[in-house]
Amino acid sequence: MSWAGPDDIFLSTSLATYLDKKLLVLLRDGRKLLGLLRSFDQFANVVLEGACERVIVGDLYCDIPLGLYVIRGENVVIIGELDLEKEELPSRMNPVSEAEIKRAQKAEREATDLKGSMRKRMEFLDFD
Amino acid sequence: MTYLFFSYFKDLVGREVTVELKNDLAIRGTLHSVDQYLNIKLENTRVVDQDKYPHMLSVRNCFIRGSVVRYVQLPPDGVDIELLHDATRREARGG
Repeated sequence: MSWAGPDDIFLSTSLATYLDKKLLVLLRDGRKLLGLLRSFDQFANVVLEGACERVIVGDLYCDIPLGLYVIRGENVVIIGELDLEKEELPSRMNPVSEAEIKRAQKAEREATDLKGSMRKRMEFLDFD
Repeated sequence: MTYLFFSYFKDLVGREVTVELKNDLAIRGTLHSVDQYLNIKLENTRVVDQDKYPHMLSVRNCFIRGSVVRYVQLPPDGVDIELLHDATRREARGG
């Protein structure tokens, strides 16, 4: 990000316009972090205050509190400004406890692993 | 360092583009700004496959790190291909 003059902050790609706002940060590993932007630099390193991870499995979700986070810029995919007047999630989604979302995550992971191993077995048999 | 694409994107500010990311997420929006790293700020954004990305529902403006972009899809009349072609030839010549 280039450092712009005082009049340019509204036209430049600087994260300054997002300071103190509630943001959604998407990471390369697929995690979704929410929090208030307190600091940033030219590498898109970011400090989020009151951060939480929003875990979504199907129609279930849970916000797991994390506290004060420093995110290394190379992991950042998108930094999105949340419109406070809009619903953050579709109404079909249901909030659940941390324990329940972790169980759902495990079940989803096991289903994906099973699908992967079955596919490998089919490929070995060389079906068309 | 050559700023050919940075200059080109600066001329596209205000146009509608669709940015496709390396994680397959595609976002449509108005190009607000770009920088030397080809980081992109989009306004008035909509995710292309909204049902697959429920967490993006209320995101209307975003900053996209240049390193995660796969494609920037442009309007067909957004490309003055001859201008870009000439600039590239000049760069290649060492100009």
